[in-house]
Amino acid sequence: MTGRRIGVVVCQCGGNISDYVDTEKVRETIEKDADVVSAQVQMFACSDAAQQDAIREIREKKLDGVVVCSCSPKLHTATFRAMAERAGLNPYQYTQVNIREQDSWAHTHDRGGATQKAIHLARAGVARTALSEPLEKIRVETLPAVVVVGGGVAGLRAALELSEMGISVHLVERAEELGGHVARWGNLFPNDKVGRELVHGLISAVRARENIAVYLGAELLEKSGRLGAFQVKLRTRSKETVELTVGSIVVATGFEPYAPQAGEFGYGLPGVVTLPEFKELLATGARPLAYQGRPVRSIAYVYCVGSRESPDRSGRTYCSRYCCSATSHIATVVNGLDPSVRQYHLFRDIRTYGRYEALYEKALRGGSVYLRYSEEDPPSVTSSDGQLVVKVKDRLLAGEEVELRPDLVVLVTGMTPRENSELTQALKLPVGKDGFFREVHVKLRPVETVMDGIFIVGAAQGPKNVAESVASALAGVSKAGALLMKGYVNLDPLVAAVDPNLCLWCEECLKACPYGAVRPVEAGDKQIAEVSSLLCKGEGACVPACPKQAISVRGYTNEQVTAMIDALAQEAA
Amino acid sequence: MKSDPTFLRDLHVGAEFDAQLCMNCGTCTALCPLGIELMPRKLFRRALLGDREGVLGQKDTIYSCLLCRLCEANCPAGVHIAENVRTLRVALNRELFGLAEA
Repeated sequence: MTGRRIGVVVCQCGGNISDYVDTEKVRETIEKDADVVSAQVQMFACSDAAQQDAIREIREKKLDGVVVCSCSPKLHTATFRAMAERAGLNPYQYTQVNIREQDSWAHTHDRGGATQKAIHLARAGVARTALSEPLEKIRVETLPAVVVVGGGVAGLRAALELSEMGISVHLVERAEELGGHVARWGNLFPNDKVGRELVHGLISAVRARENIAVYLGAELLEKSGRLGAFQVKLRTRSKETVELTVGSIVVATGFEPYAPQAGEFGYGLPGVVTLPEFKELLATGARPLAYQGRPVRSIAYVYCVGSRESPDRSGRTYCSRYCCSATSHIATVVNGLDPSVRQYHLFRDIRTYGRYEALYEKALRGGSVYLRYSEEDPPSVTSSDGQLVVKVKDRLLAGEEVELRPDLVVLVTGMTPRENSELTQALKLPVGKDGFFREVHVKLRPVETVMDGIFIVGAAQGPKNVAESVASALAGVSKAGALLMKGYVNLDPLVAAVDPNLCLWCEECLKACPYGAVRPVEAGDKQIAEVSSLLCKGEGACVPACPKQAISVRGYTNEQVTAMIDALAQEAA
Repeated sequence: MKSDPTFLRDLHVGAEFDAQLCMNCGTCTALCPLGIELMPRKLFRRALLGDREGVLGQKDTIYSCLLCRLCEANCPAGVHIAENVRTLRVALNRELFGLAEA
């Protein structure tokens, strides 16, 4: 009994919850509990009408805390915080209780049990809310400047677009020139635009911009500070150190084409080349098609080299996405050069997704023959008297071995992550098990990282074709722009706080924090921990590490968590 | 099977001969009034891969096709099956019997 005035809304989610949970029973039970002065059932708590009801209830009954028992907090916390704010209630005195994903959906066979669980969870929510305090958002100033790391097609496009928004851009490229891989490519799918020209257009546009500074042969060495004001150190070509202060960092470091091992599908034999090597050969535009002075009358492409490997072989279990479409496109280019060249495609699965299916169709119509091989029984590439011999078991001939003698074997190699350990270290960016930078959520937050204000775009995040890289670059631009254009951002105040009376600076919290948010400060005659509320994510690793219980996360204090556990353990009615 | 690049060299895959468009559904074989003797998709596969023995071994089948086009009319991939059989016959006439194209 705290004397608080808490309102509870129990959501039916249109049957998603009420089919398996007796929502009326939950309401009746919770209504009788201490501190609860209002309890309602709603068909859809998130609907406008239901929110209006709740707002009226907050105002009329002068509520000082609200609990909505509905879906996952990931879905609607922001919705109901905003609702609380509209009713004049501090948004951090709202608690979302998950009785859908963690209750009704999980216990569809047990209505009685699910109802009891919902009551327990609702009580825990009330217990937390009863100890809630009003909290204010943390306002952070942001500088309208961005470091873009990587000057390939994604980085160039990002730099240009940020510059267009009036944001100063520092474009850092490790190589001696801008352009990346695309600068060396000829005709690109799907519309035969020449990669070289595409990129050179971007480079001259970047060069013409006054608010873009380009650093060639340069690397990003260190980063400190926080979202809105990062201090970044670069090492330039002349080994000088440049220090910059920027609001955000966009990482567009791209990929490295997979380099086959010597002997992998005959790599190393004369006449066995990788897809990028073949692209460069074609980009010269020489006719008739020849390799090292010998005419090329037939080509065998081996797909999925270095991609989609079994996990016991490598970490490259992923599909590199672009290669099927690129190879189908290349087959049409070869066809255009000389339609009599025979082309055999040794593939595992053709993944010319979306509009690129038309390329496959075009390659097929041009006379390309596709042979499907299985992962367990891959083709072999050998050489006999200077003649390449490719053996493949053709599924369409019931596994009969077909022996081809092509003039050229093209290994369709995928994308691998670049060696970037220094940058990864400096930015503290997480890397997925495939070695590419890892986003927060592959679908919903595809360019954001756990480091606020640092975005990953293009093939640095995972294999992409040019169009996808640019789309991702523009996504990163809009994220960075949204952050910086306003001049400030509001951050959640649910961060760790230290009780200066209890803290003895034993450094346990410092060791536990993955974000480097803890540092020691002088406090009277002793040292204590201080948490930067701008770097802290409120994830709470420090809390159980503290031997003195001197640190706790706002909104999830030790008292609140204890009260929640007590409520969960209480006998349900 | 060894692919022989000289066999049916002038089949002009991608022009007159379009069996590479086949998606191997088997509709042609199911509909063929001559029954299982004639399996266009298998025959064409061997022709596409330059399988000399494989194609010549089915010589009688190739000449027994009625060119009724029942398969062609129903082919979901739009392969000109009967035309392909004719093209194959012309190539075989040349290859086996030394007959020049009319």
